[in-house]
Amino acid sequence: MHTDTHGNPTRATILWLLLIVATVLTWAVGERGSSGVLIVAFLAVLSIAKGSVIILDFMALRRAPLMWRVLTLGWMALVWALIGLAYWNGMPT
Amino acid sequence: MQYKSQAVAMPYFIAAIGLFVGQIIFGLIMGMQYVVGDFLFPEIPFNVARMVHTNLLIVWLLFGFMGAAYYMVPEESETELYSTKLAWILFWVFLAAGALTILGYLFVPYATLAEMTGNDLLATMGREFLEQPLPTKIGIVVVALAFLFNITMTVLKGRKTAISVVLLLGLWGLAIFFLFSFYNPHNLVRDKLYWWFVVHLWVEGVWELILAALLAFVLIKVTGVDREVIEKWLYVIITLALVTGIIGTGHHFFWIGTPEYWQWWGSIFSALEPVPFFAMTVFAFNMVNRRKREHPNKAAVLWALGTGVMAFLGAGVWGFLHTLAPVNYYTHGSQITAAHGHMAFYGAYVMVVITIISYAMPLLRGRAANSEKAQVLEMWSFWLMTIAMVFITLFLTAAGILQVWLQRVSDTPMSFMAAQDQVVLFYWMREWAGVVFFIGLLTYLASFFVKGETKAVAN
Amino acid sequence: MNTATTAALSVAPAITVERRLAGDLAIWIFILAELLAFGVFFAAYAFTRANHIELFDAEQVALHRDAGALNTVLLLTASYFVVRAVQAAERLASAASARWLLAAMVCGAGFVIVKLFEYSAAFEQGVSLSSSPFHMFYLSLTFFHFMHVILGMVILGAMWFGARAGRYRPGDMNGLETGAAYWHMVDLVWLILFPLVYVIH
Repeated sequence: MHTDTHGNPTRATILWLLLIVATVLTWAVGERGSSGVLIVAFLAVLSIAKGSVIILDFMALRRAPLMWRVLTLGWMALVWALIGLAYWNGMPT
Repeated sequence: MQYKSQAVAMPYFIAAIGLFVGQIIFGLIMGMQYVVGDFLFPEIPFNVARMVHTNLLIVWLLFGFMGAAYYMVPEESETELYSTKLAWILFWVFLAAGALTILGYLFVPYATLAEMTGNDLLATMGREFLEQPLPTKIGIVVVALAFLFNITMTVLKGRKTAISVVLLLGLWGLAIFFLFSFYNPHNLVRDKLYWWFVVHLWVEGVWELILAALLAFVLIKVTGVDREVIEKWLYVIITLALVTGIIGTGHHFFWIGTPEYWQWWGSIFSALEPVPFFAMTVFAFNMVNRRKREHPNKAAVLWALGTGVMAFLGAGVWGFLHTLAPVNYYTHGSQITAAHGHMAFYGAYVMVVITIISYAMPLLRGRAANSEKAQVLEMWSFWLMTIAMVFITLFLTAAGILQVWLQRVSDTPMSFMAAQDQVVLFYWMREWAGVVFFIGLLTYLASFFVKGETKAVAN
Repeated sequence: MNTATTAALSVAPAITVERRLAGDLAIWIFILAELLAFGVFFAAYAFTRANHIELFDAEQVALHRDAGALNTVLLLTASYFVVRAVQAAERLASAASARWLLAAMVCGAGFVIVKLFEYSAAFEQGVSLSSSPFHMFYLSLTFFHFMHVILGMVILGAMWFGARAGRYRPGDMNGLETGAAYWHMVDLVWLILFPLVYVIH
């Protein structure tokens, strides 16, 4: 039985292009030298979106038991939450 | 027993258990000296008792590892041992060297012993755990090399399995890292640095490979689970153990004068050292749950599962408790370290050696498993020793926390000896737990002599 | 039971997608351990930065952000090629699968070269593990990741040999999926590392 765990090439190509666009966006933020809570939130969202593509599509966890998505996506969310918390703590008051 | 040469494992196992008894007796003596300082003075001073207690531990575990290798490798390689005779010669050499060294510790003042044994030629003595006189150290290297030659030749002429490769890797690493015991730089920082190359990279590095190989071997035998499944776990466990263990050496480099980044590297990687132990526990229970046969040797299964749990608790959890640099700043070298040391050595290495002895000894004596009665007694000894060790660890942890508080955290810190006086109650309780441990050990010995109906070896 | 129900039941497994973890359970345990290690390192970086903000911000500007971004693109592209290699193997196209893996290795090699240039430039400027907390984290994090890329390349190489030998086919994808999962993990970690160490200030 063919279960098509890994999706099709067209979808993969589109996702890859989106990942590159997101990377260029991250780089552009760096070039502008912007900072602040909103910028960090924006970069976090970009990173989590990219990570989700890797996790769900490339690693094919979309079709895996729920536990594996919880663990990996949860890891992304937790790491960014900690980074955000640390950034917030370090803001000049 | 499938190969005649496996029989040479038996004297190694017997010597291991004999020295284990000695180790515990000296542990009890020392535990007593913690509360009654003059106990057995001047015949057995505290520093001598401590040296004998720790050195005997290492020597008997090495006997256990060698016996395990002689038992496992022919069966894994599907061939007789390269040389049974060599194995017998090495047994007597190692036993005689070990006995002479211990007698030297007991009957000759340490400084005189150092003079007698050529410490002026190459100074290697006087460092914790590496107290052995030069001839003993050289003897250890010679025995280890001859042993490795024997085992490696056996593996080379027979089947190569993941288990024997991991075991060999561990044993070779053990021999190689011991060479750092000959290096004794004048600079104290470098001395300590290389000292840890022996001490840490043994117990938190290559010994873990030996542990994983022994455990995997016994689990294959008692559960009948496919070799491929067990080997895959073995690879994951040893990779995790090596990466966390080797970089985790940094948790000993916090305060000895090494660069600051070790506080980060050491904290982070050693904090992950419980992960391979956790994987080992999951592995052991998983394999036993998926077992394809009911092995008659229930006691061996119990020891194997116990190894997983106690190694995780003792080496993993109790290690983690004080491994982060900000915590370790207060706790290093306190009774918390002693608590961790006791449960880690027992849970990981003592228990895995008993696991292989428990599995192999009946087979070496010509039966699949001991009688029901003998096994029940052996399982009693398991619980007595394990629970006693849990209590020893808890009492030492309590003593350690109190000690750290009084001596290092408090606004009006006490001196070392004044703080020791405050924790005497815990030392008494630890000594009583030690007595229970000793009763457990005697029960274990007795289980070898219980007769009864035994099961024949199944083919 | 009437025939309609029987038919529906027999069809059911084909309709509901089978829940399946791509790759060996052992590698996934390993990946979780890796994620934990990197996660701890990232958090340590972030909280240390909170105590040395000016130092971190000043030294971060000196990093080669372009090199970091280029390396992100290289890793993402390598990951994409690995996906194509797996998809090709699922279609029984072993030769194509091997070519995609080779392309992924070329990208990985590109990452290694860019990183080596970046390191040599940094070392020339006196960056070392002891020169500052930021440099300690920058070198530790990127080097730890760098070692993973090297290991990932070795694994890709093994997969390349396997694909050329036609070892992977539908129903027998375990080896390929296991290696692929590891490579994607190396990529995934970099997706946090890059913005965290090179951009956020």
